[in-house]
Amino acid sequence: MATPAQTQPTPKRWSLGRLGRVAWPYLLLFPTVALLFIFTIYPLLQGILMSFFTRGIVVVPQVESTHPVFIGLDNYTHLLGDKNFQVALLKTIGFVVVAVPLQLAVSLALAVLLAPQSRVNAFVRTIVFFPSMISMLIVGVIWAWLFGRNSGLINYVLSLFGIDAVPWLEDELLAQIAVVIVWVWGGAGFNMMVLIAGLTAIPNDLYEAAAIDNTSKWRQFTRITVPLLQPSIVVVVVLGIIEAFKVYELVVSLTTGGPGRATVYLIQNIYETAFRTVNQAGAAAAQSVVLFVILMVLTILQLRFARKRS
Amino acid sequence: MTQTQSPWRYVGIAVVLLLFALPPIWLFLSSLKSQSEIFQWPPSLWPQAPTLQSYYDTFSRANFLLYFQNSAIVAVLSAVLAVTISVMAGYALAKFRFKGDTVFFLLIMSALMVPLQIVLIPVFLVLRDLGLLNTLAGLIIAPAATPSGVFLMRQYILTIPDSLLEAARIDKTPEWRILLRIIVPLALPAIGTLLAFNLVYRWNDYLWPFLIITEQEKWTVQLALANSVGRFGIDWPRLLSISVLSVLPMLVMFIALQKTLMNGLMAGAAKE
Repeated sequence: MATPAQTQPTPKRWSLGRLGRVAWPYLLLFPTVALLFIFTIYPLLQGILMSFFTRGIVVVPQVESTHPVFIGLDNYTHLLGDKNFQVALLKTIGFVVVAVPLQLAVSLALAVLLAPQSRVNAFVRTIVFFPSMISMLIVGVIWAWLFGRNSGLINYVLSLFGIDAVPWLEDELLAQIAVVIVWVWGGAGFNMMVLIAGLTAIPNDLYEAAAIDNTSKWRQFTRITVPLLQPSIVVVVVLGIIEAFKVYELVVSLTTGGPGRATVYLIQNIYETAFRTVNQAGAAAAQSVVLFVILMVLTILQLRFARKRS
Repeated sequence: MTQTQSPWRYVGIAVVLLLFALPPIWLFLSSLKSQSEIFQWPPSLWPQAPTLQSYYDTFSRANFLLYFQNSAIVAVLSAVLAVTISVMAGYALAKFRFKGDTVFFLLIMSALMVPLQIVLIPVFLVLRDLGLLNTLAGLIIAPAATPSGVFLMRQYILTIPDSLLEAARIDKTPEWRILLRIIVPLALPAIGTLLAFNLVYRWNDYLWPFLIITEQEKWTVQLALANSVGRFGIDWPRLLSISVLSVLPMLVMFIALQKTLMNGLMAGAAKE
């Protein structure tokens, strides 16, 4: 039996320890939350606010035209008549619609081809994955060099078959196709790995049973592989859509947006609106908000979809 | 998956190998050609007189070592910082119940929806106000908080049994020691994977340096690269050699850490 005099110091020490314990998880979270607040959440709110103003990027007190002026939804209504923005938006959507299914098809074919365990397959998987390790800028450089009209390997190989030099990066349509091809090439290895992870989880006896029933390979693929692989396919498609909406770095080194404005997509248009035209920071912010809403809707749809599955 | 030994499979594999191995190899071979041979038509498939002239020019003219050094400093320090704070936050979210834990989790995850691309101007203003423009410190600190990193660490630390932590607490082990002596050693595989991926991302990153750095002495390799494209036409010999050089560290790391990187990715994907 402890007397009050003896127990008194104990709860005091205990409560100090308890205070530390309560604060500990918050301390652990602090750096991440603080950085996200400073470099993501606050800028997002600031950007949304900015989209209701006309202003320069940097507000210079002496320069009247850079001062923020509230204009309500004008930045948004102006987008309706902004040719550059509309073309960039349509081109980006077109890019997503073409590039994402193509990337899925290519990475699925690669996954099915290279999933079986063997030394050769492991080696080839490594080679296919390698482009995921290098920057999209360099992926662009590699292919700009291959696509060169009078210096590129591709046109040289075509010339062996008697085909005239193709102006890959000088023709509006061909340049857009080139961006799609290169984007798919750069991301295929990563997505292939995601799909192989899904494939290895499919029980082998399903295929064995199908083989006994003399089911064709194609039917096995459409009736067993694709349905059971659906969760991984959803990951590839959704991540692919989000990535494709942000396509830019690859364009910097492959086409720099040309010929003309043929391969200027949303991000480059936002950047050029902000930094290459005067006092259009608000307009650029409005374009960013449009892209943000698109990405947010897609992310929420993905979460819904993922929840329904599980 | 069933093993099929059909010859078509080998044809397929050969085509895949050609499509994926040839472009980088062609870049490398071209970088070894002389100024005149590089634009020769028809192109020589194998360099007739291999030379390191382009590399020599890159090093002597372009201050390349400095850009390389900047990139290395930024990649290593920012990867270490990112992993450190991800382990801390991941541990807090995995092993503690506290007021607002779900809110914090959702807050961090929702940042995934806000890529840098859509907040360029406001982030630029924040960096300016904090005096981080044109500093390597800005490049190290600003991108350090990564929702995906926190999520990966949280998922991994969840698998560490609570009983280990409780035993340590009964022994009155201070909390910071539990983190350093129990959590970190047990989470080492995930930490390794995350570190490797962060090194790759930060080394390859173009957008952050593009936003933060304008002074040429602070350029990273990727900025130097982007700046050899366009404006005055492309200086191919220089561009090819810079590209090869900038890929080299990634190639070495990839060969060394291939298993970690590819298996880490598979494990991450399997959890989706």
